[in-house]
Amino acid sequence: MTRIPLALALTLSLAGPLSAPAAAQEAQSVRLGFFPNLTHAPALVGLERGTFQKALGKVKLEPKEFVSGTTLTEAFAAGQIDIAYIGPGPAINAIGRGMPVQIIAGASEAGAVLVARKDSAIRTYKDLAGKTVAVPSLGNTQDISLRHILNESGLKPKTDGGTVTITPVAPADVLAAFAAKRVEATLVPEPWGAVLEAQGHRIIGTEKTVWRDGKYPTTVVIVNARFAQANPALVTAFLKAHTDAVAFINKSPAAAQAAVNKQLLALTGARIDPRVLQRAFARTRFTTALDPAALKEYAALNVEAGYARSAPDLTPFLRK
Amino acid sequence: MTTFDHAGPARPARGPSRWVALGWQLLGLLLILAVWWLLTDVLKLYPPYVFPGPKAVWTEISYGLWGSGPQDGKLLSAIGGSLRRMLTGYLIAVALGVLVGLLMGAWRPLRTTLGAYLTGIQSVPSIAFVPFAILFFGLNERAALAVVILEGFIPMALAVSGALLNVPPALRVAGRTLGAGSLSLTLRVLLPASLPNILTGLRTAWSFAWRALVGGELLIGGVASLGEQLEVGRNTANVALVLATIIIIGLIGGLFDALLRAFEGRVRRDYGLEVPQ
Repeated sequence: MTRIPLALALTLSLAGPLSAPAAAQEAQSVRLGFFPNLTHAPALVGLERGTFQKALGKVKLEPKEFVSGTTLTEAFAAGQIDIAYIGPGPAINAIGRGMPVQIIAGASEAGAVLVARKDSAIRTYKDLAGKTVAVPSLGNTQDISLRHILNESGLKPKTDGGTVTITPVAPADVLAAFAAKRVEATLVPEPWGAVLEAQGHRIIGTEKTVWRDGKYPTTVVIVNARFAQANPALVTAFLKAHTDAVAFINKSPAAAQAAVNKQLLALTGARIDPRVLQRAFARTRFTTALDPAALKEYAALNVEAGYARSAPDLTPFLRK
Repeated sequence: MTTFDHAGPARPARGPSRWVALGWQLLGLLLILAVWWLLTDVLKLYPPYVFPGPKAVWTEISYGLWGSGPQDGKLLSAIGGSLRRMLTGYLIAVALGVLVGLLMGAWRPLRTTLGAYLTGIQSVPSIAFVPFAILFFGLNERAALAVVILEGFIPMALAVSGALLNVPPALRVAGRTLGAGSLSLTLRVLLPASLPNILTGLRTAWSFAWRALVGGELLIGGVASLGEQLEVGRNTANVALVLATIIIIGLIGGLFDALLRAFEGRVRRDYGLEVPQ
């Protein structure tokens, strides 16, 4: 019977690494997570204009790109990310699992649309019955919104015994998925909604009909609580740069759009028509404000979607 | 290719030795649980979002299997979906495998060409076929099913053709002498004679197909499946759900393997291939 010693050896050998992600005081670098979406424009603009690096001074900024909040959360859990732009869905999940997360600012609101393929018969939310709908990833902010929309329209996802197939597709890949007719609709963050619209696909849910008349957070800024404790000055500096980036977007939209486009091209290889980007911008609001009520409702939707059994009390995790 | 079977066919363990083995296995399980509990819940060596303790995983299993809340019971429907997909794919794979295996066993040129390719394809991890299957069939169950069939069919075909080749020539000659034609020889002499080896193929095909299924479901998503539960757990930072799903995948895989193994052992005993203890 080799089972016992082997199992013991395996479990013990696991014990070595992983424990205690390094929370070094006076960090030498700030690892920033974000996605190549318009809803993350403050990150894209701040990177393009060097706003963050300037604010951090000698400390090196290490930007890391992710496709969705859920993969970012994994990196966060593994202690590989210090500060991140992320959707409220994954942020709330991370908090619910006891990760050391602090939500320190808002970044964008609205900016997600439901688009149906032009050759599909989908005209309203109810027409989604029996169709395949793409979201950036299962459990992310758009997925939670979609499940809420379905619920409101009397529909159910297939996994809950309904007819709607919800399938994860990275936003930048949705164009290809539409072209290949792999999915019939998608709830995507901008600018991908506007890009699809420019290709003749139909917007059936605007940012305002998705939820709360558009007054919902799409992206927030979170920080690893241990990092924040060890490096309060760095977090403050970052927050100031973030505020500057948001102010710049609202003050000089044209320049901000150019900056976003440059970053998107570099990160996703997609060159977006400035007019399309402008339309996407018009559907997104950029603000550093955090609406605790909206976040609380989001936590409830997360429960409704089946991703958590209870909504965590977010108050201790919000930092003004 | 099929060297993963370290344990060999079931030993006809009877009487006290079987209970002793079971006792050791139970003890091993308890020890694993104890060490796990000690590392996580007691010593708290890992944060729960990296490596949750047995209690958290048990919570996921109990809610997922027999919880009665509006969102509970998802593991149960995932098991149902995966098993249904698996059985469909497995039956098709076995039927196809027997057919192609017979043809390969009967006809040497097919054996030397197709047989060699199948051995090569078998060395490709099943997950590598998933992107192609998705492009071909779309993001749906059929893509997962296609990979299951492919992965189950190959070991089955190879086992059947190999089994036919291992039939003692004397049986073949005897059959011919007694006046059997090709079909009758195959059906009444060769197939029965190679049954023990074919059963090994059935078991190999099962484990290949089961692993392929979970891999395929993981990438496809959108339907109730164990693969999707893994993905949901991963995406919602619910490591306890991931571990719970892994345990269930292992349990189901092991259970079916044991069933097929028992059946195989019985047949081997009937064929006089096992020396009674």
